[in-house]
Amino acid sequence: MACTEVVVVCEPARSQAEAANARLIAAGSEFAARAGAKLVCLIAGEGVAAQAATFAHYADEVLVADSPLLAHFDPYRLLGIIERVVGERKPLAVLFSHTHAGIDLAPRLAARLRVAVASNCLDATFEGDTACFTRLVYRGRLHAKVAIDSRPIIATLQPGSAPLPSRSTPGVVTTVAIPPGKPARARPLRTIEPERTGVDIAKSDVVVAGGRGIGSKENFSVVSELAAALGGVAACSRPLVDMGWFGVERQVGLSGNTVKPKLYVACGISGAIEHLHGMRESRTIVAINKDPDAPIFRVAHFGLVGDLNEIVPEVTREVAARRAAPASPQT
Amino acid sequence: VKIAVFVKHVPGQAITPRIAACGDRIDEHGLAFEANEADLYAIEEALQQRTTLGGDVTAVTIGPARAREALHVAYAKGADHAIHVVDEKFRGCDPLLNVQAAALVARRIACDMIFAGIQAEDDMLGQFGVALGEALDLPVVTAVTGIRVDAQRRTAEVVRELGEGFRHELEVDLPCVLTIQFGIRPLRYMPVMSVVRARLRPIEALAIEALGLMPDAPGARGMRVLELRQPPASGRCELLGGSPREMAGKLVRTLEETGII
Repeated sequence: MACTEVVVVCEPARSQAEAANARLIAAGSEFAARAGAKLVCLIAGEGVAAQAATFAHYADEVLVADSPLLAHFDPYRLLGIIERVVGERKPLAVLFSHTHAGIDLAPRLAARLRVAVASNCLDATFEGDTACFTRLVYRGRLHAKVAIDSRPIIATLQPGSAPLPSRSTPGVVTTVAIPPGKPARARPLRTIEPERTGVDIAKSDVVVAGGRGIGSKENFSVVSELAAALGGVAACSRPLVDMGWFGVERQVGLSGNTVKPKLYVACGISGAIEHLHGMRESRTIVAINKDPDAPIFRVAHFGLVGDLNEIVPEVTREVAARRAAPASPQT
Repeated sequence: VKIAVFVKHVPGQAITPRIAACGDRIDEHGLAFEANEADLYAIEEALQQRTTLGGDVTAVTIGPARAREALHVAYAKGADHAIHVVDEKFRGCDPLLNVQAAALVARRIACDMIFAGIQAEDDMLGQFGVALGEALDLPVVTAVTGIRVDAQRRTAEVVRELGEGFRHELEVDLPCVLTIQFGIRPLRYMPVMSVVRARLRPIEALAIEALGLMPDAPGARGMRVLELRQPPASGRCELLGGSPREMAGKLVRTLEETGII
């Protein structure tokens, strides 16, 4: 193969980005090994030098663009950097995380280069000379195995935990310049931080979350009551925030919070991938849903198939009864 | 302002489509379809902008005959015009052809803003809006959750999501393409009768073959679906059976015995 590099585009650290970067580097490293290519990490942002040094433990080379110009997420500037790297180094593949940044940048790069983009991938591999990816399709209810024929290969990989392959000697760190570029027609103004509401669902040992299956806002009481009985907090999936029932501080998922409680109870949540990322690391996951095909059951430890409005109050009653008489024999 | 909204007709929410015998696509037979949810948010936002700024909203879909239903919904919500690019061959599922057809339609409408949902729930590619912007050489902002247009200056201040509750505000020149994030404003409930009545509204139909597109440009169709699969079971989910009370009993007992609660 003529191309000898796989570029992974990492993101400046925030808690989710760290997990995404780890998974991206791990997957990129394996992909590069299969292709006999070098692994090159690209990181662009403000104050990312320390992060770049860390990446050097896992990559053959780290390309770093560290500048106050990159303080805000600026897709056109980032695209300029990535395009220049691609132009100079002609990599075999450019891989992104399937995060808000990756979802934005990967299709832009693909459109500029007039090549395909495989987004929403669970894995990246080679079968012979063919680059193959497993993609989520149909709301994650099915998987598609796809082949990418165009070069460079462009894909976004779903975040997740992954052990990082450490190297005996750290890779080289190279500074890349930010291309001047023409005045952008989309100009960053400011980054808006999440509102501080005092609610921190990530701190609780027990999280009981409700989703679209709750049906009506009044019904959410079944979720809050179970949360109260278990001494935990009530949370929700994205649709309930979109409907204006709750603020993002209660939301579990890529756009909201990542939680890793001892017990996570998902009530009427089908398990869209963006939600799963926010809770799949919970120690024990219980899913209550009327649809036995719902993707949530693929990450759950215990599944209760049925009407949550009948099941959840029963669970609350059972918990309350046992709390009232902890030593009572089994009924 | 003139706004074009692209709407895709996709398999319904709560159904896992059957995989067709050939293995690389779904079996559409007997499958219920609906307007892609993110695109519904795009329609709501377009109509709100029209209310504030004046102008008109054109809803556009690309797909087979059944995709007209998505336009009926757009009409029921209040769209002014509807265009159906009829694609019986690829059934609206060829990403490249979709972008080319959309670019052609958008040029003809000469719109100030183009909206599309952030992602289609069928192919989950999320590239349509971005690729359309590139094809038209227009600025694109993705995952948009707020739009404030300054018609005089021909700019818009938009807010986009960055994840983990972070958002980002930027100023974008018009015309532009915005991919709309879920929840940008509440979806209004559509009574069935209003959709039924909307079926009488005229839809301009364009045969995709007649648009003179060049879908076979070299290197363009770089992705092949080899096969569709059911996702593998994790193998760890223990299903608790019985009546709601029995299920609850088993669950709480197990959680207690294992020291989880």
